[in-house]
Amino acid sequence: MSRYRFVIVAAVLVVFVAVGAYLLFGNKSSGPQIVTINVTVTGGTSMKPPDLSAHHNDTVTINITSDTDGEVHLHGYDIAFEAKAGQVVSQTFKAVNTGDFPIEWESTSTELGHLIVNP
Amino acid sequence: MFASGIALHGFGLRYDLPAPLYWYLFAAAGVVVISFVLVVVFAGEQVGAKAVQYPRRAAPSLLPLARSPLPRGVGGTVGVLTLLAIIVTGLFGSANAALNPAEYLVWIFFWVGTVILSGLVGNLWYLFNPWTAMYDLITRVVRLGPVWKLPDVGVWPAAAAYFAFACLELTSGMANRPWVVAILAIAYTALTLAGMILFGRDEWLEHCEGFTVLFGIVGRFSPLEAERDTTGAITAVYIRPWGVGLLKPSPTGWDRVFFVILMLSTLAFDGILATPAWQDFNITLEPLWLPMGPWGFFVVRTLGMTLLTVAFLLVFIAFIEMVVFFGNRKVDLVATATGFALTLVPIALVYNAAHYYSYFVIQSQAFIPLLNDPLGKGWHLLPAVAGIQPSFALAQASTVWFIQIVLIVGGHVIAVYLSHLRAGERFRTAQRALLSQYPMLVLMVTYTMTSLLILAQSTTKAG
Repeated sequence: MSRYRFVIVAAVLVVFVAVGAYLLFGNKSSGPQIVTINVTVTGGTSMKPPDLSAHHNDTVTINITSDTDGEVHLHGYDIAFEAKAGQVVSQTFKAVNTGDFPIEWESTSTELGHLIVNP
Repeated sequence: MFASGIALHGFGLRYDLPAPLYWYLFAAAGVVVISFVLVVVFAGEQVGAKAVQYPRRAAPSLLPLARSPLPRGVGGTVGVLTLLAIIVTGLFGSANAALNPAEYLVWIFFWVGTVILSGLVGNLWYLFNPWTAMYDLITRVVRLGPVWKLPDVGVWPAAAAYFAFACLELTSGMANRPWVVAILAIAYTALTLAGMILFGRDEWLEHCEGFTVLFGIVGRFSPLEAERDTTGAITAVYIRPWGVGLLKPSPTGWDRVFFVILMLSTLAFDGILATPAWQDFNITLEPLWLPMGPWGFFVVRTLGMTLLTVAFLLVFIAFIEMVVFFGNRKVDLVATATGFALTLVPIALVYNAAHYYSYFVIQSQAFIPLLNDPLGKGWHLLPAVAGIQPSFALAQASTVWFIQIVLIVGGHVIAVYLSHLRAGERFRTAQRALLSQYPMLVLMVTYTMTSLLILAQSTTKAG
């Protein structure tokens, strides 16, 4: 009897894990896209829009216009935008990492917003 | 929203995405269904002392290694060198936490890595503890006997030490200042060595040293078990299933219950800090804490952590009263509470692993390039590693969510099973034991659901 008990529990667990794996890895979104996002940074303290989003493996271009000189840093991807007042700085990269990545005004570590890369 | 330089949590950035709703619903449904299956399948098992006997297999091949001084020698050396590295880089390295090895060694490798590995493999703190290594080295040269006898304090001092460490990590806002970490490491080294010298090595470790008590509990979950004779020498090594070591006889007392509850509440608090609910609570209390300046931040968080601990403790005691009521037997309440508190440990450990998984995977890699210039002086000791960027291969969102589900449900199953065996041991008839399990099951399902909810909400977004 005791052996059957463990078999039953193990079977339920295996089904659960398999269904979980299918749910999480099974349905992928429709292929990589090309995404361009225009961002305005004001005074090194705020960013519009504050939340940028993309999907896994998209080719993302971020164009930053700032009214102040300084570095805007995208953490996780470790990408630096050397902003010059009134000019547009651009970086293009492939969104290979999924997650929620903070964007900071580097010199003061002020959080400007996030890049959210969904699976 | 927070002044720069104040850590939102221990140290370092987390890149976790909030899990989607279907993830939460699926995991929650799984927890309920599996709990139900467990109750039905394991109803009416053994009662009495036999109930908590678990299978274990002797591993004679491990005995020579366990008995040799080698693991302890190597582990102690690694422990002491790591402690030295923490102090030196903390004091003389970069003020930027992300560039200082001390932060990684303390918060990533020790605090996250050693705890998780100790649960998976065996009590690693026993090997790495730098203070016992120093003490043992000193006593080779000088004979030391305890000067005073430690009063009967249970593990309350260890619980206080653990609470203080949790405050440093979660409520002080100072955890990301390497020099603070280094100075506290020196202070704690002095305290621990003095304690061992004045009150006796093992007396101090077992009652006052927070990490030894913590890793003792974590090690009970692990699959390695050593049996010792009266002189402390290892006589046999066993392999056992994960978790069952928590059923082994343990000293009982409210101090032990409190320590376990503190493990659960501080872990939960770390998760809660990142949730919108906490942010709202914080904003509501702003008029109170903002005028206090940096202290306000500390006060409001420490208050939050203390209240959460008290709430956890009260809920736990209420449920234990119910367990005893349904078990319908005059049992020793303290012994019963201690026994059942330990059965909650698996849920806490898996939550810990699930919560820290991606953080550990990414930040442990971010440590590697620092080896090139550990003190931030512009050195080029290992140019080959300087440019290494953390790989997200094992930390993509879908992978993280999957691992979290497997961990949380696995830990829940172990906890429910242990608590079932414990009930069999505590209460006289199988029927009573089963009945007494319902309150415990409700508590465990609630606790696991709360863990899932915190993981699902978890977001680093401020405001």
